[in-house]
Amino acid sequence: MAYFLELLVNGALVGLMYSLAALGFVLIYKSSGVPNLAQGALVMMAAYAAWAMVDFGLPLWAAVIAAAALMFAFGLLVERVLLRPMVGQPVIMVVMLTLGLEILLRGLVPGLLGAAPKPLDIGIGLAPVIVGDVFMNRAYLVGGVVAVVLIGASMLFFRTRLGTKLRAVSDDHVASWAVGLSVERAIAISWGIAGIAAVGAGVLWGSVQGVDWTLSSLLFPAVAVVILGGIDSIKGVFVGGLAVGILGSVIPGYLDAYAGGSTRDVVTSLIILLTIMIRPYGIFGREDIERI
Amino acid sequence: MPGLALSSVEVVYDKVFLAIKGVSLEVGEGEMVALLGSNGAGKSTTLKAVSGLLGPERGDVTRGTITWDGTDLLRMGAPDRVGRGIVHVLEGRRVFGHLTPDENLVAAYSGRRGSQPFDALRDQVYEYFPRLKERAKSKAGYLSGGEQQMLAIGRALMTEPRLIMLDEPSLGLAPVLVEEIFGIIRHINAERKLTVLLVEQNAAATLRIVDRAYLIENGQIVMSGEAATLAKNPDVQEFYLGGGGKVDYHAVKHYRRRKRWLA
Ligand SMILES: Nc1ncnc2c1ncn2[C@@H]1O[C@H](COP(=O)(O)OP(=O)(O)O)[C@@H](O)[C@H]1O
Ligand SMILES: [Mg+2]
Repeated sequence: MAYFLELLVNGALVGLMYSLAALGFVLIYKSSGVPNLAQGALVMMAAYAAWAMVDFGLPLWAAVIAAAALMFAFGLLVERVLLRPMVGQPVIMVVMLTLGLEILLRGLVPGLLGAAPKPLDIGIGLAPVIVGDVFMNRAYLVGGVVAVVLIGASMLFFRTRLGTKLRAVSDDHVASWAVGLSVERAIAISWGIAGIAAVGAGVLWGSVQGVDWTLSSLLFPAVAVVILGGIDSIKGVFVGGLAVGILGSVIPGYLDAYAGGSTRDVVTSLIILLTIMIRPYGIFGREDIERI
Repeated sequence: MPGLALSSVEVVYDKVFLAIKGVSLEVGEGEMVALLGSNGAGKSTTLKAVSGLLGPERGDVTRGTITWDGTDLLRMGAPDRVGRGIVHVLEGRRVFGHLTPDENLVAAYSGRRGSQPFDALRDQVYEYFPRLKERAKSKAGYLSGGEQQMLAIGRALMTEPRLIMLDEPSLGLAPVLVEEIFGIIRHINAERKLTVLLVEQNAAATLRIVDRAYLIENGQIVMSGEAATLAKNPDVQEFYLGGGGKVDYHAVKHYRRRKRWLA
């Protein structure tokens, strides 16, 4: 029982950290309707940025803020240089473009800053937190808490005036232009915010597994999270993250011994496949409202 | 000249398809003018040329000028034109379906310097369209067609326009609702000196409320004048008002019977 609880709790915490990686994906989808396949590379780049700032001599908090500013600016740049010329083109072209960006960043960033894994110490001890007889990974615990805070903040953000405008833009670009909303600016802002969310994910995951290109493979669980939770739902990011994390921890916890390891990836891909077959919009995804 | 002026405007889609061919029209400040024409005549294209919404459809103004109070609009992006007081209520309503009516109004409110407070504008919209207030908290996508049209107009009013362009607001609505919505537009035009350019296929109802009208066919203006004069014109009566104002009772009866049959 304690073993099960441990798998459950640590899985949930890891799942919340997946949510963090998935958050930017949803933010961008919500405003522009584009599935951003470069989200993994954004997380990786954010981790590299934070590491570089620390390496440069900044204290951690300043490094995080500087990385957030940098990633926000990078998000704006992506919109201006890559996406704006694509206005009026089919979405599939834009999706391919984000995939190209993912591949480019995966090569470019480690190429410039060093491919060897780099430690990113965020001052969290290694000693587990023990509640009852359940051992919780301290880094995961911090990660889970940060994830919940950032997800909550995003939910509040979408109720503000600016957040409402971003949601309007995601609903109908032409109608947005018609009432004076700058669709371009809204998309730029959502990429900027996705960049900031990537800093949260990048720093936490970087501290757990080191900073190198492999961070970009967080794209895979992040995609599972958004497909399960609903591609445009922040609530879905939260619930989907928990589900993917827990299933990806509990099932391998019992099966890996027989299957020779790595059942987690199988679980993750099954989540993606089954969700699409059974409930294509995910748990909280919006279906298109039939016009009356 | 104050107001809107189009002079010999030509619009090409996809670099090859000539959709309007030298349209010239004027809407003076405070006037209420209609642009009438059948499906595919070029009405929506004309409005999009004014509001700057041709870009996403790969359309382009290739000739002519469009000015608003004498300033050239063609070099401005769509949001800047809204900033200048021009708003376009799109064909098919196009409300933000996943937002509530309240949120639709929030989204359209710019809050730029010099604008009225949000609450004042919203209260005004709900005063014009009390029905919207009752539905303020449900998703706009689930409102009825008439309510969505009211919301689309209300949302446009949140931008504090000086010129409102409406693209077929009567489309798909029951005659009573059309009367109601047209009445409100007329009222806003009179009360606030809001300039109105109304695009319609429904010539009968439209000619009753506008000051002047233009007729467009195949991308060209073919006739224009005072609404009352146009309504008496034999060609207009024949092609737009259903044959000399005489009602074909046989057809009506037949239609009624068919309808009962279907219901
Ligand atoms: N996005 C577009 N691409 C190509 N042709 C278009 C487009 N929109 C409209 N057209 C064509 O331009 C002409 C005028 O269309 P439109 O302005 O929508 O007419 P109306 O609003 O009067 O029904 C039509 O022949 C239509 O097929
Ligand atoms: Mg039209």
